[in-house]
Amino acid sequence: MASNRKKSRGESLFLRYLILGGWALFCLAPVLWFLSIGLRPRTEIITPQPIYIPTFSLDAWHMIWEDWPMGKYLRNSVAAIIGSVIIDLVLAIPAAYSLSRFEYKGRDDIGFYILSTRMMAPAIVAVPIFFLFRNMGLLDTIWALMLVYAAINLSFVTWIIRSYMLDIPKELEDAARTDGAGEIRILWEIIIPAILPGIITASVIAMIFAINEFLFTLLIASTPDAYTMSVALANFTGGSDGVIYNAIALVAFLAFVPVFLVVVAIQKHLSRGLTMGAVKG
Amino acid sequence: MSKTTLSEAGAAIAAPDTPTPRTFKRRSKRMKAALPYLLVAPAVIYLLGITFYPGIYAITQSFYEVKFGPWKPVGWANYAKLWNDHQFWQALWNTFIIGAISLTLQCLIALALAFYAYRDPWVKGWRIIFLIPMLFMPSAVAFIYKLMFLDGRVFSDILIRLGLIETNLAIQSSVWGSRALLILADVWQWTPFLFIIFVAGLQSQDEEVEEAARLDGASWYAIFWNISLPIMKPIIAVALILRAIDITTMFTNVFIITKGGPAFGTETISYFIYRTGFKFFNFGYASAASVIMLILTIIIAQFVVKRAFVSART
Repeated sequence: MASNRKKSRGESLFLRYLILGGWALFCLAPVLWFLSIGLRPRTEIITPQPIYIPTFSLDAWHMIWEDWPMGKYLRNSVAAIIGSVIIDLVLAIPAAYSLSRFEYKGRDDIGFYILSTRMMAPAIVAVPIFFLFRNMGLLDTIWALMLVYAAINLSFVTWIIRSYMLDIPKELEDAARTDGAGEIRILWEIIIPAILPGIITASVIAMIFAINEFLFTLLIASTPDAYTMSVALANFTGGSDGVIYNAIALVAFLAFVPVFLVVVAIQKHLSRGLTMGAVKG
Repeated sequence: MSKTTLSEAGAAIAAPDTPTPRTFKRRSKRMKAALPYLLVAPAVIYLLGITFYPGIYAITQSFYEVKFGPWKPVGWANYAKLWNDHQFWQALWNTFIIGAISLTLQCLIALALAFYAYRDPWVKGWRIIFLIPMLFMPSAVAFIYKLMFLDGRVFSDILIRLGLIETNLAIQSSVWGSRALLILADVWQWTPFLFIIFVAGLQSQDEEVEEAARLDGASWYAIFWNISLPIMKPIIAVALILRAIDITTMFTNVFIITKGGPAFGTETISYFIYRTGFKFFNFGYASAASVIMLILTIIIAQFVVKRAFVSART
């Protein structure tokens, strides 16, 4: 009996590592290939036979900084993203406080309305948003990007923060309330410090979605004044040169590294954030 | 309840000091009732501006012919044209078929991976490795796949070396080949999303129940199927809905990898709207398609999403 159980466990262990290891390989192989593309000269990218062991070269690195306004793209991305996260937090924290702490008519409908905006396909609002920004004279500016990214992420951010607020025991604020503290002071001095992990998680997820955003940025930005990294990539096609893959690969890794580090730091909260608080992992 | 009585008592105590006790009391009471609305209002107004306003705008525009000159009213003509537009139906079908296959694959793979990973001592390590594809910009992922399968032909080359095929695959000219490529890129990048959520769901369940079942001689497989999976149902529903939303709005990969081709075989509804609006500048027509999408979205949101989120929270 004992040996039988041991055997079946051994088998399942083999299968387990075969499957997990196999998927890990599947995840990493394209990434490593792309990294090798970024570190080789252009002449070795598209060849009759793929070159598996290329010459090492930093051509692409020099190219992205010298031939393109990479610094500008980077600055646009960072400015638009940080601006949008600030807008989101300013709007979402009071909204989440209202949704999690008060009983009032229409509360659940308001909460669901905020959630449902996440379901809106970008393409549905693309045409009107384009005209809206054109009439406001905001086309091709990072202000427009900021406003759009904030709108895309607002539902997520609100629901994540709401979920963390629901976890705070009511006694904590009731004590403060008996001491005569107003609602705003309670929010600022008790609730916000207590849900800081939630606020950070929400900000990180909003940041990732903002970096990834493509359709709106493509429509809004038409010059390097507003290009972000995500859309700049699609423009690394120097006319007759075709797609400049090694430069694209390096920019991809340039954006990947900071995101990866931040996500590893908040790993514990990630599943909860990704489901807008529906899963308390 | 005790909250209101407490604050009322506070107001009553404070009242004698104020010059006009009655108005102060009434105003503060009205303030109290309005406060939650005031707190939530800025967010709601912002979202209305970016959803409701465009919705109205799109509905209005859909009854006009909007090209470069002034708007020309055309009644229901845009909708009638959509009804007869083969490419529109094709785009709906493409979105559905690519989305359905991709979502099914992602769900099954993520469940299997989560099942094997959540009891593993190195679960944190697996999680970080599996997460990597998700953290690349989608536009970068699209280029990775374009290079490997179309421009650089690494995939074909490896298959040739393994002796599985004889000549380069002509993925670009095959509808199902191109669809498979879009599906593969999506599965590669977004299966981790489901995996992370499923692992968290499995880890958060009561270990004692599992342990008891195991001592009764139930296999891991039986435990997973009969105990874990039913508990996980609401979580799976929420995760799949979030993923389904993103899959049905797929745009970046189509824009970079296939441009909707060949023969409109990979044109998703998002790409259709983009193409009619921003390539052919037929904005009224694009708006009509947007309105149809909007109606579908509202119906699905009301019936499916609301229920899933409510059951996941309780």
